[in-house]
Amino acid sequence: MLSRVADNLYWFSRYIRRAENTARLVGVSGQLQLDLPRSARFAWRPLVETVGAADAFAKLYPDSADSASEADVVRFLLVDPGNPLSLRGSVRNAREILRTIRDTLPQEVWEAVNDIHLYIDEHGERGLGRRYRLDFINHVIDGCLRVSGLLTANVSRDVGYQFLRLGTALEQADMTTRIIDAGSSGLLRARSGEDEEAFRAMQWMSVLRSLAAYQMYRRHVRQRVTPELALRFLLQNDQFPRSVLFCLSRGITILPSMPSRDAVGASLKRVLDLVRKADPVKLAKGDPRPFMDQLQRGFGSLHDTIHEAYFRT
Amino acid sequence: MDWGKYRSSSWDELIQADGRPRPAARPLVEYLAGLSGRELAERQVAADVAARVMGVTFTVYTEGRNVDRTLPFDLIPRVIERREWERTEAGLRQRIRALNLFIGDIYGEQKIVRDKVFPGALLKESVNFRKQCVGVKPPLGVWAHICGSDLVRDAAGTLYALEDNLRIPSGVSYMLENRLVAKRVFPELFETSTILPVDAYPSQLYDTLAALSPRPGDTPVIALLTPGIYNSAYFEHCYLAQSMGIELVEGGDLFVDDDDCTYMRTVYGPQRVDVIYRRVDDLFIDPEVFHPESVLGVKGLIRSWRAGKVALANAPGAGVADDKVVFAYVPKMIRYYLGEDAILPNVPSYLCSEKKDRDYVLAHIHELVVKPANESGGYGMLIGPRATKRQHEQFRKLVLANPRNYMAQPTLSLSTAPIITDQGPQPRHLDLRPFVLSGRDIHVTTGGLTRVAMKRNSLVVNSSQGGGAKDTWIVDLDEVA
Repeated sequence: MLSRVADNLYWFSRYIRRAENTARLVGVSGQLQLDLPRSARFAWRPLVETVGAADAFAKLYPDSADSASEADVVRFLLVDPGNPLSLRGSVRNAREILRTIRDTLPQEVWEAVNDIHLYIDEHGERGLGRRYRLDFINHVIDGCLRVSGLLTANVSRDVGYQFLRLGTALEQADMTTRIIDAGSSGLLRARSGEDEEAFRAMQWMSVLRSLAAYQMYRRHVRQRVTPELALRFLLQNDQFPRSVLFCLSRGITILPSMPSRDAVGASLKRVLDLVRKADPVKLAKGDPRPFMDQLQRGFGSLHDTIHEAYFRT
Repeated sequence: MDWGKYRSSSWDELIQADGRPRPAARPLVEYLAGLSGRELAERQVAADVAARVMGVTFTVYTEGRNVDRTLPFDLIPRVIERREWERTEAGLRQRIRALNLFIGDIYGEQKIVRDKVFPGALLKESVNFRKQCVGVKPPLGVWAHICGSDLVRDAAGTLYALEDNLRIPSGVSYMLENRLVAKRVFPELFETSTILPVDAYPSQLYDTLAALSPRPGDTPVIALLTPGIYNSAYFEHCYLAQSMGIELVEGGDLFVDDDDCTYMRTVYGPQRVDVIYRRVDDLFIDPEVFHPESVLGVKGLIRSWRAGKVALANAPGAGVADDKVVFAYVPKMIRYYLGEDAILPNVPSYLCSEKKDRDYVLAHIHELVVKPANESGGYGMLIGPRATKRQHEQFRKLVLANPRNYMAQPTLSLSTAPIITDQGPQPRHLDLRPFVLSGRDIHVTTGGLTRVAMKRNSLVVNSSQGGGAKDTWIVDLDEVA
């Protein structure tokens, strides 16, 4: 397996997973907004931070700052050419990468990615408005899942496949913390104190939904949604495939099928320890965001170690 | 489909001058005659969709972005009878044997120059002669492992060799894909006629490359070196690498170590490479030896090749015989090296370096096709009968300024075959590019890639200039009950 190809496989799966999570986040946020009573206001701006694109946003919409409008944020996250981290940008990156490794993956994967790309080009503008947004988003999510399905069903379990899995796992762990981050930033601005607790529950339900986790949460936790329980589920559940713990544990199971590099295992275990030792009760009481940032830094250094160990030979 | 009004002003591959189909094409022509315009249009749409879905594209770089274009594909196959093809195939085998002996001789003792069969002066001015190759003895004595020869037929029906592409000929993937499309669209015909298959090519190419390995015995590590996604033939590079199961590499994936061996950068660490099917031009292949600024190549690759640690196909320097002036000497080479007469005639050629020929060219420039020695893709040439007086004058000056760089050929009225148009079947000019593999054995593709000018009366079939393709059928009449 060429280092360049491994690098591209890893990033290809990251971008596909990122696109899917971005689509979900925007879709669920729009739904939440519809459910809100008139006394509450939905803050769109924190979604921009989710994808780590605050600077690009400020450049494109210098006037909107804190009170960013739904239209601006949705456009920015979905299709804005000025945002390299938009849904369209992620799909385009995935496609450009795939062009260079077309010989490695089955032809259908190229067709599937090309379909999403063409679909976004054709329907992206129309998909911004509330009327068609959900259709648009669901179509893109389906497309991304089709790619994941093709990879799972049709790709040989060689070392290249391990890089695909590693990319997906790391991207999902990262996106999960980012969506928790956004959920903790007070998406909802209650206009009176008594609504606040009810809103917090709605908000965490929305976070769970953004991660396709709501139904699984209900089945596993069997209690109404509270910040502590939602956080525990998304960080530490060992059976839900988008929880941080699950993704990192999967990383541990992947490593033995890859060329052995001690630094990668060590880096992975460090961040896994952080997750295991986290106390959701304490996090929910205070502000969970610094911890999410700490995890993201851990993922960053894990990525650097992987890059150094496998892609820069 | 109505053949009633179909008439070609040239030799037609499917329909005789009397309007009746040629014997090998009869089942096809009758089948097409039975289809309504709508059925035909449906099949053309199906073919276009199939081509797009299969991703048959070539890349055009325009306005700062690369666009994948689908090669226009015409449904109606070009048909050649098996017995005629066998003669052609024998001619191609003979040609490539002589060409490989010639290249080896040129970089070796140069007997052909000493014996005054080939003028040494031509070498001095050849832009494709590589002094770095002098004295190298590549495995099996083969330099041009993959050759794409362009064949054309004139109005009298004679098939000629027009040129031999010995550097990095492309197009074979379209030949293979065209057949898949044709099978999807005309399954009935494949059941009732004996159309010889074309799909042996990837395994023959693999065997040809594997035989060059400097480490016989082990399973060789083979890679296809591509200039990358911006190259117009990138689709083909992927396609071939995939169908042979070999690595597709870019220059940055390879390096040559102090032991002169060539290695790939892999996730396991460096892995030695035995054979490289390179689709990067000579001059970009090694910045240590050629263009120092090239980022497409691999530093030290020529050193590794000269040391016999890695095999390159085609060998660097093979292009010395891929020169439109050298081309004119191929019949003499066949006689000199093989003691045989050429089976496949050359298109008659006038060499501007020879005074007699040059005078003829200058006097008859309005009837001739004048070509520079080392251009490909149909660039930089003059089609006399289609050009203006001013262009004639301009080319006379070019020829006089650098006679070695020009040769001329009579303007052949290329043969035609029908393509589907809104006005029914219409004749279009075409050529044929068979691919010839040389290693331990010689393999010739069954037919080859038929390139067709999609514009009426146009003689230019290159894909970069709006040409399209057809499936090519070698039909065995003896098998028909």
